[in-house]
Amino acid sequence: MVSLLRNQKVRNALLQILYVGSIAAMVLAGIVIARQNLAAQGITSGFDFLFKSTGWDLNFSLLPATANDPYWWYFLIGIINTLFLGTVGLTLATIVGTIVGLARTSSNELARLLGRTYVDIFRNIPLILQVFFWYAVITHLPTPRAAHEGWGFLLTSRGLYIPFPNVSSAALAAATLAVIAAIALPIWLGRTSRLSLPVGQRGGIQLAGTAAALACAAIILVAGRLADSPLLDFPALQGLNLRGGLRIPPEFATLAIAIAIYGGSYIAEIVRGGFKAVGKGQVEAALSLGLGPWRVFMLVRLPLALRAMLPILANQYVWLMKATTMGIAVGFTDFFMIVALTINHSGQTIEAIGILMAGFLVINLSLAAIFNRINKAIALKGNQLRA
Amino acid sequence: MISGNSPRSSGPAVLIENLDKYYGTFQALRKVSLSVDRGERIVVCGPSGSGKSTMIRCINRLEQHNGGRITVLGTELNDDVGNIDGIRREVGMVFQHFNLFPHMTVLENCMLAPMIVRKVPRADAEATARRYLEKVRIPEQAMKYPGQLSGGQQQRVAIARALCMQPEIMLFDEPTSALDPEMIAEVLDVIVTLASEGMTMICVTHEMGFARRVADRVIFMDGGEIVEQAPPDEFFTSSRNERTRQFLSQVLGH
Repeated sequence: MVSLLRNQKVRNALLQILYVGSIAAMVLAGIVIARQNLAAQGITSGFDFLFKSTGWDLNFSLLPATANDPYWWYFLIGIINTLFLGTVGLTLATIVGTIVGLARTSSNELARLLGRTYVDIFRNIPLILQVFFWYAVITHLPTPRAAHEGWGFLLTSRGLYIPFPNVSSAALAAATLAVIAAIALPIWLGRTSRLSLPVGQRGGIQLAGTAAALACAAIILVAGRLADSPLLDFPALQGLNLRGGLRIPPEFATLAIAIAIYGGSYIAEIVRGGFKAVGKGQVEAALSLGLGPWRVFMLVRLPLALRAMLPILANQYVWLMKATTMGIAVGFTDFFMIVALTINHSGQTIEAIGILMAGFLVINLSLAAIFNRINKAIALKGNQLRA
Repeated sequence: MISGNSPRSSGPAVLIENLDKYYGTFQALRKVSLSVDRGERIVVCGPSGSGKSTMIRCINRLEQHNGGRITVLGTELNDDVGNIDGIRREVGMVFQHFNLFPHMTVLENCMLAPMIVRKVPRADAEATARRYLEKVRIPEQAMKYPGQLSGGQQQRVAIARALCMQPEIMLFDEPTSALDPEMIAEVLDVIVTLASEGMTMICVTHEMGFARRVADRVIFMDGGEIVEQAPPDEFFTSSRNERTRQFLSQVLGH
């Protein structure tokens, strides 16, 4: 017996059992105590409430929603709203960040100064203050009757109105898929044809793929247009209100702008770091071969900088995805706000918070998984690298 | 002046006249003059900081000179972008740290510039690339990535990559200085072969055995100046310059 306890493997196994056992005991105790307390307060725990109707309305939803819909439908809408805001916000932040980041690495002194000023300002003001600031700006825009107008766009305190195609929602969904394909296709083609096609020709095929997918999107939109209406619906004043076009509500616009500008300042630093990490030697080699500055950028600097940026960028995207929960500050019905409203109306705090946490875990773990795969796929091969 | 076209004419391959180069207030090159004939093999040596690398980096405009003139294959190197591009097409360069493109295969490294700069069709570019990879004795590594090769192999790929542009002149900037000792020979052998085929080359190196073997002329630089130039026999045995003799005793002395 004594000799058995002195065995290293046996000891390790016993410690493991003790460790797992004590954690399981704590979790179990927590559940039992929570149930007792909830029962004492007259709250029934469980997920039955998910199938009851909510009784309240949403101010933003991409899917049809009424007060009669059950909670689970609202949660789904919340997740979709969060994903939508996240996608728009991250895309805009990436565009802003790339422009500012490139300005910061530019050889032009004024561009560098502007870039630096931008980063210094927007990176150092808390996100929530920026959200409130943009909300104040947007809600103080003129009323629809005095709207700022240009190129069919209308800026009003009730939101941003943009021209929108008059097409069926099915065609819209199909066209969206086609646009996603237009983005994904060149990446996929670039990977599968790595060995059979050299760099110079890959570009043509990738471009053709993108063009084909975009053409598909256009055909779908034209085919799916509603009868007896112009293809593009322009917003216009009718009586006291605006009709037509697509209305982007102030809450959504506020959050998208705030995330784009705040996130952009962080992404700018990541972009700058990525380009700084590209070895001077590779650039000189490309120049000495007679490649022009644009080719050097597209074929050498950008691909290498992307590889340096991607892991940090993934981190930043996960962070910004969580920042969508600022929706509650201005009343945008993102996932977090719907959960908060659910708690107020149903009292199912633990369950609702559990669903919220699980939802964000799934979203962000998926995001991280996607980025890990991309990272692995484009990682530089071999270990004899010299910068 | 030829612009955008390949500068090919008679006269010296490289003509450097009274070249000055400053980094801030530090003068890296002082009135350097050098004429390199077609087919001539020049070895440049000298202590570190003497301006050897700066001089050859000026020849393809990786460094911009501040005074004097550089004429490459009859084309003057000035701010004219057409001239710079034209000269870079005809001047290949091999670097101390290889500087291969790590995200492309060996073959892609070799095909990139010919296809884009010289507009060579894909099949021809690949045939040329494979021929030069054969020449530097690593045809079997064509589909590998630079990071999967040893230093010596990477440097030979770098030589093949430069040769794929079919340059008139090759510049070597300490091509063996970053290599482990056992890999130096494989790279030098390739350069020796190239030299025996009549390639015009300027090579900055500390490999004095190599200099003795292939150089038509050895240039010794110190303090941003060309101190002495002579055929290798004369340079190694009967140099009368104090600084040269001191340098040689340090390099050859052990």
